[in-house]
Amino acid sequence: MREEAIKRFLLVTGVIWLLIFSLIPFLWMVIISFSSSPDFLVRGEGSFTLKNYIDIITIKTLHFPDYLKNSGIIAGLSALFATIIGAFAGYAVSRFRFRGRLPLIMCVLGLSMFPQISMVGYLYRMMSMLGWINTYPALILPYTAWGLPLALWMLLSYFSQIPQEIDRAALVDGASRLQILRKIILPLALPGLVSTYLLLFIFSFNEFLFALMLTTDHHARTVPVGIALFQGLHGELPWGYIMAASTISSLPVVLIVLFFQRYIIQGLTGGAVK
Amino acid sequence: MSREFRTALPFLLPLVFVVSVFMLFPVIGTFWMSLWQDVSFLPRKFVGLSHYLRLFRDTGFWQSAAFTLLFTFVSVAVETMLGLFMALLVNEQFRFRGLMRAVMLLPWAIPSVIGARIWQLIYRYDYGLANYVLQKISGKVVNWLGSSTGAFLSLIIADVWRTTPFVAIILLAGLQVIPDEIYRQAKVDGATLFQRFFRITLPLLKPILIVAVLFRTIDALRVFDIIYVITGGGPGGATTSLSLYGYKYFLLGDFGYGSAISISLFLLALFIALLYIKTGRFKEAVL
Repeated sequence: MREEAIKRFLLVTGVIWLLIFSLIPFLWMVIISFSSSPDFLVRGEGSFTLKNYIDIITIKTLHFPDYLKNSGIIAGLSALFATIIGAFAGYAVSRFRFRGRLPLIMCVLGLSMFPQISMVGYLYRMMSMLGWINTYPALILPYTAWGLPLALWMLLSYFSQIPQEIDRAALVDGASRLQILRKIILPLALPGLVSTYLLLFIFSFNEFLFALMLTTDHHARTVPVGIALFQGLHGELPWGYIMAASTISSLPVVLIVLFFQRYIIQGLTGGAVK
Repeated sequence: MSREFRTALPFLLPLVFVVSVFMLFPVIGTFWMSLWQDVSFLPRKFVGLSHYLRLFRDTGFWQSAAFTLLFTFVSVAVETMLGLFMALLVNEQFRFRGLMRAVMLLPWAIPSVIGARIWQLIYRYDYGLANYVLQKISGKVVNWLGSSTGAFLSLIIADVWRTTPFVAIILLAGLQVIPDEIYRQAKVDGATLFQRFFRITLPLLKPILIVAVLFRTIDALRVFDIIYVITGGGPGGATTSLSLYGYKYFLLGDFGYGSAISISLFLLALFIALLYIKTGRFKEAVL
């Protein structure tokens, strides 16, 4: 019985610690975003306001709505491309036992360990030559590539769970491989496709270094770069604006995590966590 | 070419193409650039490996290499221990467990830049939340971002907040494949809670623990975002990671030397990854 008490104690303190540790910075972000002055704690005065939100949405020169739009389009499209390309490759790797299958998987997974800085120098040159600096393709294409190792890893584990007898039966009925993938495998693996897409979206939405190097202004600049480069008029950082922008930008990600927590964890762990 | 391979090829080509052009090729290209003098307003000139020789004499490079290794070691050590605790926690059965898992994931899921901005504000010397709380508790304040030790500690805390959930998810997968049967049997045999943890959980978790540590190590070595925002590499270059050091040369327009720095980080990460794979049973754990 004493042991049960210890376990219970650890569990309760652990949960409280986890809640405080994870959530206090978020609460602080939201509080500052709604307060008239970021230093209200030491000043002892400050009031609730919506001004920060109204300003970042309506003041044209801050360009925050532009950043949000750019991020949405860039992350949305690159996640879509990576999911589609990853689905083709995942199907081939899960269905065909060709030589070099394992080395291919290991190589692609290994690519995801490359430091971004060791690619961005040449990517900058490449995009300059193409005249693509500060355009959507300059980020969409590298993000698609960047997401592919994860897409392959996740989709491979989903596709492997679908029995190959289904393929064989369909082949006998005269279906082509492409038809099998489109009409049978993809619908069966729909939850896997959705969680892959959502995770890739989050990764592209959050990426910073490529976006910092390959964009120059609000025509293609994404939210993380916008928030990192927010400058005040007189050198002092406009904390209210920064936190309001951060709160708005976190919202889609927070919603995805709250609703799809199970699928995200399952996807990342190859379905090991139920 | 086998028939299997020929059928598979069209399905694989898009992946191989995109990954080669936008990941593999840029690394090779960056290496190529590192062999050239490539500075704005100066003619391009092939200089061979001389940028790498320059690295040896560059104290800024060694300082940032030392910082990067220390940051990696400390952050990965702390994150692995806390991540293990977190994983054990959310592996238990309790009400609102799903909600707890979602809460746990949040710091990892939002953009790192946003997390960094929040911590930057919390660390502010004059009106930051950290010093306000410290003042109330102990009457003392800390110059978080003004001293090199303080800045280092600040970055570690911010990084632990953001990436511990990732370690926890990986380890959670490892915990779930340990059969309950073993624990039940151990209980019958009279093993205590802590004995069960050290004799069963930890040894069985070892392969996946190695994977988590490898992923985290490689990721910590390339740290950039939070440093760019929170300290900008300061004070006095004390928290400049290799990624940031390379970026600063790119920013100055010196693409040759910046590339050499970036490639040395790449080689460092590759070396450490190979070290893990040789020593740990990495392949078995992944496949």
